Amino acid sequence: MRNIETEVLVIGGGATGTGCARDLALRGIRCVLVEKGDLTHGTTGRYHGLLHSGGRYVTKDPQSATECARENAILRRIMPHCLEDTAGFFVITPWDDPEYGDLFAANCLKTGVPAQELTLAEMLRREPALNPQISRVFEVQDGSADSFLATHATAQAAREYGAQILTYHNIIGLVREGDRVTGAVLEDLRSGERVQVRCAYVLNAAGAWAGKIAALAGLTVTVVPGKGTMVAMNHRMINTVVNRCKLPADGDILVPIHTVAVIGTTDVHVPDPDTFDITPEEIQLMLAEGEKLVPGFSQYRALRAWAGVRPLYKDVDGASDRDLPRTYKLLDHATRDGVQGMLSIVGGKWTTYRLMAEEAVNEVARYLGNTKPCRTAEEVLPVPVTAQRSPAPPLAGSAMRYPRHEPAAPDGPRLNGVRAPIGPQPIYGLDAGFYYLGQHLADVEREHAQDELICECELVTRERVLAALASGAANLDDIRRDVRMGMGPCQGGWCIYRTAALLFEQRVADGVSSANTNAALLHFLQERWKGLRPVLWGDQLRQARLDEQIYVGLLGVHRLQAIAEPGGGLVTDDSR
Amino acid sequence: MAYDTIVLGAGLAGMLAALGRSERGERVLVLAKGHGATHWAAGCIDLFGAATNPLAAVRDLAATQPTHPYALVGVTALEQGLARLRAACEAVGYPLVGSAERSLLLPTAVGALRPTSLVPATMVAGESRQLGDGRPTLIAGLRELRDFFPPLIAANLRAQGFTAEGVYLDLPPSTRHGAFSPMNFARLFEQPAFREQIGRQLADLVRRGGYARVGLPGCLGLHQATTVVRDLQTQSGALIFEIPTLPVSVPGARLFHALEQALVRAGGQMQIGAWVRRGEVQTEQLVAVYSEAAAREQRHTAQRWVLATGGIAGGGLRAEPTGEVRETALGLPVQVSAAQSAWLAQRFLADAGHPIFRAGVATDRDLRPLDAAGRVVYANVAVVGAAIAGFDPLREGCLEGVAVATGFAAGQH
Amino acid sequence: MDHRELALTQALDHCIKCNLCTSACPVVAVTDQFPGPKYVGPQAERFRRAGQPVPDASVDYCSGCRVCNQVCPTGVPIAELNARARGAMVAERGLPFRNWIIARADLVGGLSAGPQAPLVNLGLKMAPARWVIEQLLGIHHQAPLPMASTYRFRSWFKRHQAAQPATKGQVVYFHGCATNYYEPHVGQAAVAVLEHNGFEVILAEQNCCGLPLISNGDFKGATSAHAANVRKLLPYVRRGMPIVGTSTSCTLTLKEEAPEILGLHDEAVRAVAAGTYDIFEFLRQLAERGELKTDFRPMPRRLPYHPPCQYRAHRLGKPAMDVLALVPGLQLDESHADCCGIAGTYGLKREKYQIAQDVGQSLFEFVRRAGADLVLCDSETCRWQITHATGVPSQHPIEVLAAAYGLRR
Repeated sequence: MRNIETEVLVIGGGATGTGCARDLALRGIRCVLVEKGDLTHGTTGRYHGLLHSGGRYVTKDPQSATECARENAILRRIMPHCLEDTAGFFVITPWDDPEYGDLFAANCLKTGVPAQELTLAEMLRREPALNPQISRVFEVQDGSADSFLATHATAQAAREYGAQILTYHNIIGLVREGDRVTGAVLEDLRSGERVQVRCAYVLNAAGAWAGKIAALAGLTVTVVPGKGTMVAMNHRMINTVVNRCKLPADGDILVPIHTVAVIGTTDVHVPDPDTFDITPEEIQLMLAEGEKLVPGFSQYRALRAWAGVRPLYKDVDGASDRDLPRTYKLLDHATRDGVQGMLSIVGGKWTTYRLMAEEAVNEVARYLGNTKPCRTAEEVLPVPVTAQRSPAPPLAGSAMRYPRHEPAAPDGPRLNGVRAPIGPQPIYGLDAGFYYLGQHLADVEREHAQDELICECELVTRERVLAALASGAANLDDIRRDVRMGMGPCQGGWCIYRTAALLFEQRVADGVSSANTNAALLHFLQERWKGLRPVLWGDQLRQARLDEQIYVGLLGVHRLQAIAEPGGGLVTDDSR
Repeated sequence: MAYDTIVLGAGLAGMLAALGRSERGERVLVLAKGHGATHWAAGCIDLFGAATNPLAAVRDLAATQPTHPYALVGVTALEQGLARLRAACEAVGYPLVGSAERSLLLPTAVGALRPTSLVPATMVAGESRQLGDGRPTLIAGLRELRDFFPPLIAANLRAQGFTAEGVYLDLPPSTRHGAFSPMNFARLFEQPAFREQIGRQLADLVRRGGYARVGLPGCLGLHQATTVVRDLQTQSGALIFEIPTLPVSVPGARLFHALEQALVRAGGQMQIGAWVRRGEVQTEQLVAVYSEAAAREQRHTAQRWVLATGGIAGGGLRAEPTGEVRETALGLPVQVSAAQSAWLAQRFLADAGHPIFRAGVATDRDLRPLDAAGRVVYANVAVVGAAIAGFDPLREGCLEGVAVATGFAAGQH
Repeated sequence: MDHRELALTQALDHCIKCNLCTSACPVVAVTDQFPGPKYVGPQAERFRRAGQPVPDASVDYCSGCRVCNQVCPTGVPIAELNARARGAMVAERGLPFRNWIIARADLVGGLSAGPQAPLVNLGLKMAPARWVIEQLLGIHHQAPLPMASTYRFRSWFKRHQAAQPATKGQVVYFHGCATNYYEPHVGQAAVAVLEHNGFEVILAEQNCCGLPLISNGDFKGATSAHAANVRKLLPYVRRGMPIVGTSTSCTLTLKEEAPEILGLHDEAVRAVAAGTYDIFEFLRQLAERGELKTDFRPMPRRLPYHPPCQYRAHRLGKPAMDVLALVPGLQLDESHADCCGIAGTYGLKREKYQIAQDVGQSLFEFVRRAGADLVLCDSETCRWQITHATGVPSQHPIEVLAAAYGLRR
């Protein structure tokens, strides 16, 4: 039994939890963050990656819209390396109410969400694959976000200021002394060891699992896990985030992120955040909605489908899921339940994670008598070693330099009073340090690292895989989240084998056996299969059969099942 | 130009069919979209994975699974086809060893043991009975080759009770400083100076470690593999065996080359890069096919046809998002045993495999395609290899065996 | 971007990463400079985006031989994707003067051919001059530059009288730059064969097909070259007259490369593409219909023949072999080699000359082993390369066919 003393215990290694840990650490408050899996293992790692402009909420939830717009600007400043400045469109398709355009524009103005109407010609020039029958288009400041990287960067910043981060630690129980929560009992999943944490305060940032955590302290928090299904398409047929200009619904967002375009999402109430299936109907719905935005969408190759569970807090019964408030809630269990020393953060969305953390930590700080101001909006996040890169190549010639925003035709409709989001500036914000699509290709080219590629689809070099291993990846899925290994077209056909072997070579000295490695390999193959199964037809089915040829026909990995046992510091879902 | 027989597809099945008909004196053309499944496989001849006596198991199929392609063409076609394939390989100095009546177990690039029946002489020293003779085995690779990891292979062999160690060799100096694909390594091994450097390192390791045999990645030469292996054995003083690597598999490419050579010698023509998109029919006979070409289609005519375009992996079958499964060249009726919702098992490695991969074209005993009602669709077409319905070549471990048996059969009658 | 445009980009989705293209690529087999067709093609394409800096220059080592397309089992137009990527690079970084000049086949040819040709040729044979050219222009001093002709094919044609009246209608002959400026005899043989088969040969106005511009990434230049050819050829196509060419790369450009790579898909472009034929494709169709004259003199010769990769890219099989098989006694031995290496202007460049020579090795050995005094190949730059490397004279198969008919050369 290990003992840990700290001021604040943060539960949950998603965006909110790590954001809280960083905020606490920056204010000089000692804290320990505990996460049962890898960082972002929950909902943060399973969302479409949209950095909201706020446009989606201008009508339904004006407060969220305003918060998104403000946080959007802050995140661009503090984590440009985790963001791609794609810009976003809100489009009115023939299936949408044309009247909504004016309301949308007016509400953008009211909520402070920068927006500007574009001509359709300009829209098609920038995104030729979009449906030419779209009748109106507004440009907003959407972007795409690498939520894995952002969370790792946040955690790294927290660590640099003294926070302790414990991944693969499961909460077995919360310790209550009378009407006060004073600590927790954890299990280290890698070693099986028990860990006793004593603390002055517990911050429950477990998202969709927040209800389960609260229950450990005898508290009732009703979180409605809302399943959102997404489908990643093999390449970016669009490079701008595209939203349907209507009240939020299923399948109305298409997000270009890294090499893929993600369409999402559904919103289905599920009883348990740990068990849910993706149905064929959901996939068909995503493809059908995609068709409305990009004609021929269903003929593009789907790579993979997955679902995340939204942490929606239910404090009023009777509302349909989509209408639950998006705005987060801080539940101070002292005032709510008469239990001291614990706060649950519920609801919210990735774009506003920093603000949620700030407000939650304000409460904690007040409780602890800490008066230092929040600095998370000012300090720029570090760049994790797995993502380090050189600056963007210089732009040669002037031919490719065109302003991002060509103003709408003078006689076209405009939004008075709302300025163009950024105005003409260096294209795609490369100079501001944003991630850009060609970045890894440029890195590999400059380093002549083509021979070093372990995951060829996503251009992941041996060096980056080794860096992920060195920074503590516990299994193949962790490496995937760190560097996108196995996330491209072949879904691991070549690189799962290579990465497993590298993992073995790196960890054999730490007691990892080939039997552990085999278990990790088999487990990860099955993890990939789960995401592939819903989208197997056409090219992706052919790919799956080639992958089967590799793993069953050539390598015979199924014959390793007899010599595969989880353990040796490699933690998988099987052993959790 | 008019041909007697046109074969669609250049895998094992198609090439053996084309070879058979060429040797009967016919004017033969092979049309293929590209290279295919032969280059993706281990370069061994799997006959019937699970069986200790594959030939006997094939014989039994006649009673137990009469529509299995093996049962349709019979055991004699398999035996004769294997003989023809062995002769073709022998002719290019690349002998296959083993027997249809015995399974061999060969180590894979992850150190598992994989059953197969006929293997190139360059691989046979790694067979499990030899590995288990108590003398130590060395697995040696090169870091520059991304698809071969001696420590993991050796560790997994040890976990199965064999004495094995893994080591990385130093890359000998050569003209190359990059692009170290298996195929380029095969080219390097054909340079005497390169393999001599490797041989010297191996000799040193063998002397110090007393290894009886050394496993190397399956890229020891493309056209001169036998020579490369012989030289390395002489120099190192140990037996050398190849372990097949991930696609493109050099041993797979060697099988293709052996058959290509045989076909060219027999006077057959090949057109690779010809994507057949549709056929033309007159009174239940296929009279022409059209392949995609620059600015227009090319029409090909022949008296008889062999469809050897493969299954889902080969591209002979394609599944649509709607759940329809198409035969891509001629639009033949496809037999799918499962509804779309049951195409795929929950577990990737489920023992029975995935039902979608048993889809294919149903045939009669002459391999003629049948429609859903069991009527012959085109009397002058034979379907061979993985395009045939009702079996899973990968999971049954009979990919090459069925290709050889049906391809040979279509080349004869 | 219409649906055909989208289809080209979308086709990268067919890639299942199997490496067949890379293992077959003749450039990868000999150099470390080129990461391979899969890498620079469908793989890198997922990381490219119009309007952003071009992150990779290694795609420039693609020779455009299209062996990748040929072996790809899933139908990815790899070579086209590579050509597009190179075009984007040139659009961003500009076209080096060397590439500008060697891509202008009609300009260079026009300056060289004619009465001044002996002087030009003499200069090109002199080592110091070639050294200067290499230093100034980056054209390798040993690169197989063609010798200019003392007369142009078009001037010859103006004076030419058909030996017999036409009975089968008219065909338009697309001679290309090589025939006009360097090898008029190829055009003369083609005209003789077509006239012998009863056609009236029309010499339409025409310009460079634009292929060297495409393969050097000058899409602007290539687009205007193609537009000019379409304008000049369309009236003939509209009257149902086939366009027949002897340069496999010119005909491929008119049929497919220009429309696909440059994204030109209007009706006129499609009509010209549909109306264009390589000469042996045209003759083979005649033969299949029983309309090809077969009054051949026996020709007891055994000659090595290399079907050039640009011809294989037509995806028509081997029309020249099929037709020449009709000549009694003539036996062609097919090279089965992937590529001669030259790839148009690729192998002329200082940094790529040796790659091109290495790529062609197996072909050169085949030619040397054949021991014949002549080698046949349909593509001009390949002929120059083969002769340069082996010393064996080369001819277009149409010249042998003309000889088989007993037609004057």
